[in-house]
Amino acid sequence: MREPPALEARDVRKRFGPVEALRGLSLTVRAGEIYGLLGPNGSGKTTFIRCLAGLVRPDAGELHVLGSAPGAAVAAGRVGYMTQAAALYGELSVDENLRFFAALQGLTDAPRRIDEVLRTIDLTDRRRSVVGTLSGGMRQRVSLAAALLHHPKLLLLDEPTVGIDPALRRDFWEHFRALAAHGVTILVSSHVMDEAARCDRLGLIRDGRVLAEGTSAELVGRAGTPDLESAFLALAEH
Amino acid sequence: MDPHRIRAVARRIAAQFRRDRRTLGLLIGAPILILSLVGALWGSTTSQRTRVLVVSPIAGVPPVLAERLVQGLRSSSGMDVSTGAADDGRQLLEGGSVDAVVSARLGPTNSVEVAIEIEGSDALRNGSTLQLIQQGVLRALGTTSGAPPVQVTYLHGGSDYSLLDYLAPLLIGLFAFFFTFLLSTVSFLRERTSGTLERLMATPLRRGELVLGYLAGFSLFALIQAAVIIAFTVLVLRVKYTGNVGAIFLIEAMLVIVSVALGLFISAFARTELQAVQFIPVVLLPQVFLSGLLVPIDQLPDVLRPIAVVLPLTYSNEALRAVMIRGFALTDPLILKDLAALAAFGAVTIAGAVASIRREVA
Repeated sequence: MREPPALEARDVRKRFGPVEALRGLSLTVRAGEIYGLLGPNGSGKTTFIRCLAGLVRPDAGELHVLGSAPGAAVAAGRVGYMTQAAALYGELSVDENLRFFAALQGLTDAPRRIDEVLRTIDLTDRRRSVVGTLSGGMRQRVSLAAALLHHPKLLLLDEPTVGIDPALRRDFWEHFRALAAHGVTILVSSHVMDEAARCDRLGLIRDGRVLAEGTSAELVGRAGTPDLESAFLALAEH
Repeated sequence: MDPHRIRAVARRIAAQFRRDRRTLGLLIGAPILILSLVGALWGSTTSQRTRVLVVSPIAGVPPVLAERLVQGLRSSSGMDVSTGAADDGRQLLEGGSVDAVVSARLGPTNSVEVAIEIEGSDALRNGSTLQLIQQGVLRALGTTSGAPPVQVTYLHGGSDYSLLDYLAPLLIGLFAFFFTFLLSTVSFLRERTSGTLERLMATPLRRGELVLGYLAGFSLFALIQAAVIIAFTVLVLRVKYTGNVGAIFLIEAMLVIVSVALGLFISAFARTELQAVQFIPVVLLPQVFLSGLLVPIDQLPDVLRPIAVVLPLTYSNEALRAVMIRGFALTDPLILKDLAALAAFGAVTIAGAVASIRREVA
């Protein structure tokens, strides 16, 4: 028996003044997979993720997050959201930041869970450091930790690996893979093609619409191109 | 020095200004707003009259003299003169329905002595009241040898009150309001611009919870600040006060809560910290001009009085002055009315702050 999809979008539309950010975006993310939202800057990736996080209400279309409305899934603490910029409190320590987010999610065993998450992201020794003094990559790791604390069933990651070095990027993808193995569904946006190959399935998005959906092999095959980057360009120009 | 490069810098700044419409608007609009207020405030004459009660009849004083006193005072254009018994006078003075009570008696040499008792809690009003009455007395009973002897007493305050004693109740309110407002505006703006607000809204945290949490967190420090301001005013500056320190603190506490909530709300209208800072004079200066600090509320021109009614400092000033100078208790109807007004401001600004946090999905 197949599990119901973790995420379902049908013809989602959103307009900001003169700009039509989403023009009938439809996609389905299966439970437990890593789904890559791949597209150029300004294609609507962030707007779509903000819709899923309950921050933006679509003008039209249907949106189901873990079987309910986005706002309800967020309120139930089932969604983890990592924004593009590491949105943390620079004056506070790593520990204080994480304790704050743990409290908002109503975690009862916060100290133990924070230990656990810090070990995952390998920042246990910086626990007492003030976030403002950390490097960009470390901050990004803390930001991921904050999104993971409450064991979300769905992780929304908006370009999580922008501006971090290749070694850390590899570590991040190992974390994502491990989370997916534990049944967490991950929606990750990116405009870096080499990350796309690591996703279970991909949605190529452009001008607020999904151009093509499938595994990276399927997309390459459909386009008849040697690699994903040229496949994306070929599909986009169709 | 290359004029081209200088011009390039100047043009870039002009271009940035053109883009930042809000800053441009505030740069031009704020002074016009403030100047209109000042113009209306000091550019027109007040319609408010000084209310005087003349004690009459007065035992021992020939009725004709008392009548002359009343007539003399009535001939002055700025005064409303009524007559009544001495006991009524004290009561009306305490209730604030007359500004001064005038009585006369016969002195040892059978000459008339005039006694003036002034309400006295507002230094701005005392001078003009006294001057008007003295002119009237001179007209009524003056002789070639000059004015009759006049004895002036004050119900509240008095000649041993310095200007600081009169202004301290208003200044402690103003300072607490200003610093709390500044701090809460800029910190909440930072929450909005740094992306943390977005992150918070993607957790189970509700908007109302966020605003109340901010209020609790900021109010703690604002209350410490209020306590320090009051202690410094009373202990170091030795400002005279007759009321209860606890009552002063409670009024300050209500005011700073309004101030924090207003700061959260106003931060929604700024996109940068620079813009937020420019909002401060727009919010603060009208309150400096219109809340009774510079001109008593009832002496404001008619066009400005409705504005004073919607400023929180108007109520905290009235309450703080009543407690500190007039020695009113917290349970006095006047104080209760002011506290209720501050509570209403708190409710409205909190609701405004919650509404200003955008989360389009409930």
